[in-house]
Amino acid sequence: MQTPVFLDHLPDIDAVAGQKPAKYRLRRNQALGALLLDPTDPWQERKCCPACGQASDKNPIFSQALMEFRRCSGCNSIYAARTPDQATLDRLRLEQIAATAAEPQGDREFEFTSLLNWISLTEARLERRLDRVLDIRFASQAPAWPDATERLSHNRAWDFLHLEPDSPDFAGLRAAIAQAAPRAILMPAELDRAADPAALLAALKDAAAPGTVIFAASSCADGLEYEILGAESPSFVPLDRLTVFSIKGFETLSARLGLKVLEVSTPGRLDAVILDRYFKSAENRSIPFWSSFFREADKNRLRDLQILLQRSLKSGVLRFILET
Amino acid sequence: MGRIRHDAMDRHGGFEVVVACDTALDPTASVPMVTDPMAVYDYAPDVIVCSVPNMMIPDVVCTALERGKHVFSEKPPGRNSADVRRMMEAEAAAQAAHGGRVLKFGFNHRVHDAIEEAKKLIDAGTMGDLYFMRGVYGKAGGPNYAQNWRNDPALSGGGILIDQGIHMLDLFQMFAGRFTDVQSFVQRKFWTDVPVEDNAFALMKNAQGIVASVHSSATQWQHTFRLELYLRNGFISVDGILSASGSYGTEVLTVALNRLDATGSPIPNPESQELRFTEDRSWDKEIAEFHAAVVEGAALRCGTSQQALDVMELVEAIYAADPEWSTTRQQTPQTATE
Repeated sequence: MQTPVFLDHLPDIDAVAGQKPAKYRLRRNQALGALLLDPTDPWQERKCCPACGQASDKNPIFSQALMEFRRCSGCNSIYAARTPDQATLDRLRLEQIAATAAEPQGDREFEFTSLLNWISLTEARLERRLDRVLDIRFASQAPAWPDATERLSHNRAWDFLHLEPDSPDFAGLRAAIAQAAPRAILMPAELDRAADPAALLAALKDAAAPGTVIFAASSCADGLEYEILGAESPSFVPLDRLTVFSIKGFETLSARLGLKVLEVSTPGRLDAVILDRYFKSAENRSIPFWSSFFREADKNRLRDLQILLQRSLKSGVLRFILET
Repeated sequence: MGRIRHDAMDRHGGFEVVVACDTALDPTASVPMVTDPMAVYDYAPDVIVCSVPNMMIPDVVCTALERGKHVFSEKPPGRNSADVRRMMEAEAAAQAAHGGRVLKFGFNHRVHDAIEEAKKLIDAGTMGDLYFMRGVYGKAGGPNYAQNWRNDPALSGGGILIDQGIHMLDLFQMFAGRFTDVQSFVQRKFWTDVPVEDNAFALMKNAQGIVASVHSSATQWQHTFRLELYLRNGFISVDGILSASGSYGTEVLTVALNRLDATGSPIPNPESQELRFTEDRSWDKEIAEFHAAVVEGAALRCGTSQQALDVMELVEAIYAADPEWSTTRQQTPQTATE
C-alpha cells in the first residue's frame, strides 16, 4: 500500500471563513432543524461504529447542532448516533443544490485538476488503463465538473451518475454501475454524507467488475482539525458529516467488505488555516502547546505544519484508492 | 558487497553458497573459504558472484565464463570500455560453447523502488515526452580516501565519476538511450594527493535532442542523490537513495502533472505528489532477476553487458571531453588503459 503526500498552495483563509461557507452551513443546519421537527421522518439508531463495528455503547456521545454523535474508542471515527434514511438525505441535498443553483459557484478548477491528475498518475503507477470512469454524484455537487472532464481528461470516457433519491441498499447506484461497466469509479463527496456508508461501498463492490479501481475521498477524523476542535470545527456540518472516518476505521471497513486498499493519503489543506483562525478568534480558548503555536504562527509555519500533517496522515481529508 | 549479495541470495532461496574467496580467511564464516581465486572452482559452482576491485573484474569474469559459469559482477564493469569489450567477447564465447550463460552487472539503482516508479510514470505516456534530466550524486570523500584503491587509476580506472557517478549515467541512459554529444569539466580540487577527479560536471545530448547534466562529486559534504526529469506534461524527481549506509536518506519520488490555464498554458508550481520509500529492495530484485535468467532463461532487463559498455563509453567520453583533464590524465603514469 502506498501513502502519497499531496503538496499544494495553502488556500486563503477566506476559503473557509467567507460569506459563502457560512451561508452554506446555515442552510444545511436549517434543513437539519426541519428534519428534527418532522415527526414523520424515520431515523435509524446506529448500534455500532459504521467503520470498525465496535458497539456504540462503548463510544462516548456528544452533541452538535442538536444532533448526537459518537467518537469510536476503537478506531477514532466520529459518527452520528442516528441517521435519517438515505432517500431523505438525498432529497435534502437536492433541495440545497436547487436553492443555490443561481449563486456563483466559484472557481474549483484546482480541485478538479487535482482529482483528474490523481487518476492519471494512479493509472500510470498501476500500469492499468482506466479509460472508463463513473462519477458518483460529484457532478451534482459541482456542476462545472463534467465540463472540466471534457476539457482536461482526453483519454477517458466519463459517465456521470447524478444525485437522485436512492434506496437504503443503493439499488439505483447498482444499476448505474452495471450499465456503465466502468474501469474506475470516482466518489469524492459521498461517504461522509451517506446514511450507511458500508451499504454504499458494498453496492460498489457488488456491482462493479472485479479489478475496478475506486477513488474515494471523505473527511478524516484523524485530522488535526477534528482532533482539536471535534464537532466545533467550522467544517463539521452535521448533515455532511454523518460519518467522519479515521484511517484505521476505513481500512477495517474496506477489509470487511473485501475491498483491497491500494493507497491512502490525507491531502487536506485546511487544518492549519482553520485552526489558525479558530485560535486567533477564540482568545479564551487554551489548549497546551497548540494555542500559542497558532497565535504566533505566520503563513510559513502554517504551511510547514500542513505538510507535516499530510506526511503523517493527520490532515482532515482522506483519500483512498480501493480495488474491487 | 559479497556479504550483501550472500544475504540477498539467502532471502531469495534457490542458491547454495558453496565457497567464498577473500583476501583473508574468516574463522566465523558459515561457508568454506579460500584465498586463491582459482580454488573456488574446486567446489564446482554453477554461479560466480564477483565482488572484487575494478582491475580484477575482467579476469575473474572472463575466467568464470570460460569455465561455463553464470556470472553476477559488481559495477563498475572494470576500468574502461576495453575491459567491458573483453568480457563481452568471453560472454559470446561462453554462449557458443555452453549456451545460456548469464552475465549480469550490478547496476542496482535501476531497480530502486523510486526509480522504477519514475520509469512506470514515463512509460505510461502520462507525462509526455522527456525534455531534459539533471542528476547530482555526491559524497564527502570517505575514510582513508587517498589510500583507497578506488582512487588509484591503475586499479579503478578513475575517481568519483566511474565509482559513483556511473550509476547516474546508467539511469540517464535507461531513461533516454545513448548520449552522443558530451561536454564536461573534470576537476581535482580538495583531494589533491590522489591522481583521480573529485568532481565531474557533464552536459550531454542524445540523438533525439534530450539533454542531461550530471554533477558527480566527492566534495558534496552533505551526501546527496537527486535526479530530476522534466517532461512535456510535468516533472518527476527522486531525492535520496536508499543505501547500506543510509546516509543518502530515504527515497522520495515527487511527481507533478501541470495545471493548465484557460489558454492551455501551464500554471507554475502545480500540485505535486510525494511518495516515500524506506526499504531498499534493490539487492533482492537484482538477485531475483539473475536467478530467473539462470534458472528459467528469462532475458535480463538490467545490468546487461551492452548497458555496461554503453555507460562505460559515456564515462570515457566525459573524461575525454575536458581537454585539460584529458591531457593531465594521459600524462599520469599510473593510468592504465589496457
